[in-house]
Amino acid sequence: MAIVEKPGSGSDLSSIINDERYRAVFYQILVFGIVGWVFYSLVDNTLTNMANQGKAAGFDFLLGTAGFSIAWTPLDYKPDDSYLFVYWVGIVNTLLISGIAIVLTTILGFVVGILRLSKNWLISQMAAWYVEVLRNTPLLLQIIFWYLGAFANLPRPKQSIELLGIDWLVLNNRGLYFPNAEFVDLFWMTAIAFVIGIAGAIWLNRKATERQLATGVYEPTLVKTLGAIVGLPLVVFLVTGMPLSWELPVLKGFNYQGGTFILPAMCSVLVALVIYHSSFVAEMVRAGILSVSHGQTEAAYSLGIKPRWTMRLVIIPQAMRAIIPPMISLWMNVVKNSSLAIAIGFPDLVSVFMQTSLNQSGHAIEIVAMVMLFYMTVSLTISGCLNIYNKKIQLRER
Amino acid sequence: MSDAPTTSDGLRVFKPKPSLPPPPATTGVIGWMRFNLFDGIGSSITTVIGLLLLGFLAISFYEWAFVRGVWEAASRQECRLSPTEFGTCWAGVEFWFTRFIYGRYPDAEIWRLDLMAIVFIAWMAPLWAPKVTAKVVVGLSAILVFPFMAGYFFLGGDRNWFMAIMVAVSMTWFAGTMIHVAACLLTGKGLGHWIITLSGFSSRDDRTHKYPLLIAAVVAFGIVYFVIQSWQLPIVGTNQWGGLFLTLVISGIGIASALPAGIVLALGRRSEMPVIRVMCVTFIELFRSVPLITILFMATTMFPLFLPEGVVFNKLASAIVAVCLFSAAYMAETVRGGLQAIPKGQYEAAEAMGLGYWQSMGLIIMPQALKLMIPNIVGSFIGLFKDTTLVSIIGLFDLLGMISAISQDPQWIGLHHEPLFTAALIYFIGCLAMSKYSQHLERKLGAGDRR
Repeated sequence: MAIVEKPGSGSDLSSIINDERYRAVFYQILVFGIVGWVFYSLVDNTLTNMANQGKAAGFDFLLGTAGFSIAWTPLDYKPDDSYLFVYWVGIVNTLLISGIAIVLTTILGFVVGILRLSKNWLISQMAAWYVEVLRNTPLLLQIIFWYLGAFANLPRPKQSIELLGIDWLVLNNRGLYFPNAEFVDLFWMTAIAFVIGIAGAIWLNRKATERQLATGVYEPTLVKTLGAIVGLPLVVFLVTGMPLSWELPVLKGFNYQGGTFILPAMCSVLVALVIYHSSFVAEMVRAGILSVSHGQTEAAYSLGIKPRWTMRLVIIPQAMRAIIPPMISLWMNVVKNSSLAIAIGFPDLVSVFMQTSLNQSGHAIEIVAMVMLFYMTVSLTISGCLNIYNKKIQLRER
Repeated sequence: MSDAPTTSDGLRVFKPKPSLPPPPATTGVIGWMRFNLFDGIGSSITTVIGLLLLGFLAISFYEWAFVRGVWEAASRQECRLSPTEFGTCWAGVEFWFTRFIYGRYPDAEIWRLDLMAIVFIAWMAPLWAPKVTAKVVVGLSAILVFPFMAGYFFLGGDRNWFMAIMVAVSMTWFAGTMIHVAACLLTGKGLGHWIITLSGFSSRDDRTHKYPLLIAAVVAFGIVYFVIQSWQLPIVGTNQWGGLFLTLVISGIGIASALPAGIVLALGRRSEMPVIRVMCVTFIELFRSVPLITILFMATTMFPLFLPEGVVFNKLASAIVAVCLFSAAYMAETVRGGLQAIPKGQYEAAEAMGLGYWQSMGLIIMPQALKLMIPNIVGSFIGLFKDTTLVSIIGLFDLLGMISAISQDPQWIGLHHEPLFTAALIYFIGCLAMSKYSQHLERKLGAGDRR
């Protein structure tokens, strides 16, 4: 192969654009210059504007007193706490509500997804319509609908709705009241027993698998596992004299006292988040199970594996490979979408920090940056876990 | 077996009797029901439970919407009292329906929005007509040229020199497109062909055939420009925009800008130039990892700080910029997914043919990738359409914002369920139509891949 020396290469100004060696560098410098200039002018404008308004940038305000109260938080927050603590309250509320929503969404979504694959035409059609209707209406509309349609019209505490007919599980316009667990002295022993139980269960299952691999004898471990995880702590719990008491909510005067409660707004956000995202989970589960080729099922049957075991040992493990990556990004979406709670006044991070604190203190840039930092941390953590998982489950082709 | 037929040389031949019809319980409606609804005890029980649930939902809905529905009333109070107690107040929805669609746009000016909707449909519709030629030009101009005319019709008021030219260009272009489409449908030949033929100036083989086209375009533009020079529409500020109209404006701009921006970002992310790659990755990851509402808040609180003094950016413009940034980042990931699905052989083949970067991207990779990406692209469009509801949180009156506005109207105070149901229905129909159309498109374009 002959290499033809381009005429005028290296000497001409046009070679910067035409010569491959310099072209990439040239374009990168150009783009970098433009972006840098845009950034510089933005920063410059911002500094000028802030100087004109007499504002100073900096994170000093974080230690100042916030001065407003927050409608609901599991933490011990008082209005004279600092903005930094408000940030922390917001993070805890956001993580709490999205954590609960993620667990419930996944369970409900799996149920609907399996119903969607039911052989029963009516059931699969109903599941399909559930998915279509919920996926195609905006989440914000659904949150508002649940709030205004259901949870804002609850009766006063005196006429509370007793869920399941239990008088310590009540729903009224102040929120959902349920008992609060109080741990007495020796409860730590039960907790330790629980941890030991889980470790024991893992060990038992490993042993059983090893034995099966070595001898081919299958031995059911469900009873032993349950015994280790539930039985052991229960025995310890009873032996140590039941060191746990429930503080029940009781109607006193105009309101309930004792127990824990969550706001009606939180109930509606939770219900809306769970129901909306469950429709996406359902589709993922369906697509995942359908993505396992039918040949796998036939092969399992021809080996004499029973249908129940085919599902458990052949279909589900392969379907999981298709289900879990989108599922994890859906969990990320739940965390992000929980910020819509602001529309009905649930005090999540965006609501308490990006709205109330920002309006009060006026430190827009710092606050926006801190909120974005939180969401980016969560997102990058989750996608980091996803990448590790993806590497682990990738098909090992031989 | 004496009756078995024999051939001429005495051999008996096996001849099966005609097969019996299938048992009546396995065919027709009954058979279908047995297989799909009552296949065993478990299935039957679930069917019955499902039917009960469905019946309960249908009856409750029927009672809520129709039995208790009140269609004529002057206020919510009237709905609640007559003729049945706690009537479902459709009268309020009816009364406010114009507002749901057009927001607070003055009644006398609503024709402008209707007209633009018709113009847009007329501009896009030829894309589905097989006889029309030059579809790329028609489609692209609907996205690039139409917004100037629409923007002026929506806003009204004075035109600066740039808008004056662009509105005239847009109108001329629209008129030309319509004549072109009519010519195509009637004669099978486009406008360009007729201008060249009728002018008698030159033939198509000659390079000079461009001159009559240019002259015609300039003359038409000049006429339009001078005709509309003194014409003006009354100004309608963006604070009066609202309802479904505003939703469509925001999501329309978001969708139109998302695809090109997403393609550029995705190519940048896969580029071999480190500086460009790092910038694109930073942009994409930043805007994808935070919720849209934080970007909207950032836009409303920080854009005023970013801009030089004297430049005022209204809320709608900030919201649109925020939506565009957000949708571009999401679209970039969608496009990247499509690009990754193209086998490496295609890139190598394009290179082996001697195509440069832009040629191989534009002619080989992108057409295949875009076809693969259709479901995901439409998925993000649907997502964007739904996500525009968030602008109601920062105080714009989109469809959802108008829904909350009605419940604060003294006459209809507290009216929530019926407007929310109406809005849900509008969103549902819009999104479902988009997703069904994408499925259709997927089947149509995937025809070559099926065996």
